[in-house]
Amino acid sequence: MPSELIIREELSRDYLKVSITGDIDIYTAQEFKEKLYGFIDTYNIDLKIDCLGLNYIDSTGLGIFVEALKKTKLFGKDIQLENLKDNIRKLFIITGLNKLFIIK
Amino acid sequence: MESITDKIVLIMPFKADYVSVARLTVSGIASRMGFDIETIEDIKVSVAEVCNRFVGAGSKSADSFKIVFNISAGKLIIIFDSQDKTLKCIFNDSDDGISLSIINAFMDNVELCPDNSYILSMTKAFEGISGNGE
Repeated sequence: MPSELIIREELSRDYLKVSITGDIDIYTAQEFKEKLYGFIDTYNIDLKIDCLGLNYIDSTGLGIFVEALKKTKLFGKDIQLENLKDNIRKLFIITGLNKLFIIK
Repeated sequence: MESITDKIVLIMPFKADYVSVARLTVSGIASRMGFDIETIEDIKVSVAEVCNRFVGAGSKSADSFKIVFNISAGKLIIIFDSQDKTLKCIFNDSDDGISLSIINAFMDNVELCPDNSYILSMTKAFEGISGNGE
């Protein structure tokens, strides 16, 4: 079955831009986790995650984001989330995760 | 209690592959019922959170769990069940905190571990209509 999640990265001088397209759910979570954690381990740089193409996330994906944030903080780096759709932003607010992440 | 006009049943394997099918199904039902887009998204996530829990728990004695969508004029009542009754009280430990908080925030009435034959029920009513069984 083809993946419903596409993740692209683009390295800048000061940060890594990660663009997410599709759904982060229980089916795509492992793929998302491996890629995101891989970026953190490889680049040791701030992440800017562009969520313009992110259509769906639930607690599975939120948990991965939280763990990713913990990993980046260990390296003294941070994660910024950008272009959250309204339904995604609402989830971050309801769970209180909007207080953990920089959200633009 | 408002009478149920229609019922749609999904039989789901304990596999992550098909949770998106449950989301699509409830999205179609909620849209047809007339819920707005924001509410449809809320219901989709809530259904998926429960499905995720079933998939995560798995079962040694059953090969599927069931989602029953009970449609009435004023509300959508979603019931989850399985022949494996050890799955009762499927939200049980501290790991479920975020998941439960999402479901309780998005749905009007959530019954966990009910004293009935099913495992979990959740209701979404149109504004102005009680989400409880009244």
